[in-house]
Amino acid sequence: MAEQALSAPVPATRPKVAASRRSATFLPRLLTGLAILLTWEIVVRALAPAYVAKPSTVLLAIPHVIVDRAFLQPLGATLWAVTEGLAITIVAGTLIGLWMGRSDAFDRMIRVYVNFFNAMPMIVVLPLFSLWFGYSSGTRIATIIFAAIFAITMNVADGARSVPREYLEVARSFRASKMSVLTGIVLPASMPYLLAGFRLAAGRALIGAVVAEFFISQGGIGYYILYNSRSYHHNEAFVGVLLLAGFGVGFELLVNWATRRFMPWYRRDEKTN
Amino acid sequence: MVPFSETLVRLWQLVVRGDFVRQFADSSELFLTGFVLALIVGAPLGLLLARVRALRIGIEPYLMTLYATPMVALIPFILSIMGFGFAPKVLVVFLFTVFPVLYNTVEGARSIKPELLEVAKSYRSSEWALWREVMLPYTLPYMMTGVRQAIGRALVGMIAAEFFLSSTGLGQLIMGASQDFDTAGVFASILVIGLLGVGLTRLGLMIEQHFAKWRQ
Repeated sequence: MAEQALSAPVPATRPKVAASRRSATFLPRLLTGLAILLTWEIVVRALAPAYVAKPSTVLLAIPHVIVDRAFLQPLGATLWAVTEGLAITIVAGTLIGLWMGRSDAFDRMIRVYVNFFNAMPMIVVLPLFSLWFGYSSGTRIATIIFAAIFAITMNVADGARSVPREYLEVARSFRASKMSVLTGIVLPASMPYLLAGFRLAAGRALIGAVVAEFFISQGGIGYYILYNSRSYHHNEAFVGVLLLAGFGVGFELLVNWATRRFMPWYRRDEKTN
Repeated sequence: MVPFSETLVRLWQLVVRGDFVRQFADSSELFLTGFVLALIVGAPLGLLLARVRALRIGIEPYLMTLYATPMVALIPFILSIMGFGFAPKVLVVFLFTVFPVLYNTVEGARSIKPELLEVAKSYRSSEWALWREVMLPYTLPYMMTGVRQAIGRALVGMIAAEFFLSSTGLGQLIMGASQDFDTAGVFASILVIGLLGVGLTRLGLMIEQHFAKWRQ
């Protein structure tokens, strides 16, 4: 469907080859990384004002930032909000998605709206949410949920729709109840789609949280970055960005790992946006 | 909350007053500049990375990191270094857009069957012909997947830039309405941007599917 793309055939590499290749790639990667950092350092030193973040000063800032309460508290607040928002999103999004996938009538009713919201750049609702929920953490949660839920719903609906017909027919022949068809067949069959949706949703939730904090100045990692870069503490602010990048990559790795671990039969589909 | 009828009336007012057309033109300029720049940089660089293996191996992990990084977090830095103006906003749209294009192009070019390149080489194909006849046609569908993803992101980048950098375009339309507690105006703008999003996503899908015929 909308987010689905064809994936390229990946040639199977024998583990031995893969292992030797891994050690062969490490050195060039390290060298490139160092080259990037060096270029950055030189360019900033030569051209930019002193407050602009450069690798050496960011590195120096890391030790005192990561023990600073002014950093840890917002970090916790953002992470908690994202976790809470994602939990709500997964439950609600999956339920709606399953319903959409299994009921044509319901699907026809709401698909066009789900598509509408999914395609809308989610940050446009911020001014509206800030009017409704005020300058509180409620706005942040609402933004996170709004940013993430449609990705999950769309993917789960696609997944629930793609359950092989034979499975359902067999279940019907054995007079399985509707509930056990749902939990025993449809849900497991949609899991890979749910995971792909989660990967998308997690990234969007993170963006939603950061943007909401920018917008309503709610204490969190996004506001920490905004506040510090406004007061020309770019190095401190950049530590926050590094952390966000870490989360982004972390979610990606987590989903890849979970797909391989729990659904080894399912080849990773390109479902990013 | 406001009734839907009021939203439509407000939308009509905005269109008639000409606000809407002007802001839309502003936003389009920003969107297109950033997007085209990202394509010009992303696509050739992606092919180059795929062709030069050493370069690809070195850069790939960093590319993936940047692809997964929420780019909005860079907006405050861009603001305090580059200030207000058109250039920083273009940079924001560019940053949102370039990585999907680059990432998908590399993925696509990497999956070119070695046989194709070998045959071309055996027939003493020049490097230029190899790019034009083998690499580009093969990679195009993947690149277009990147373009589709990039369209959605560019829209987010555009609005984010208009919210947090100098306020112009459709972003300003929303911000202005919300500061005046003009909920109908906010709704009207959101409706328009939502429809724009749907239209652009459709367009992206059409482009992607058009080129996907090529892909086996």
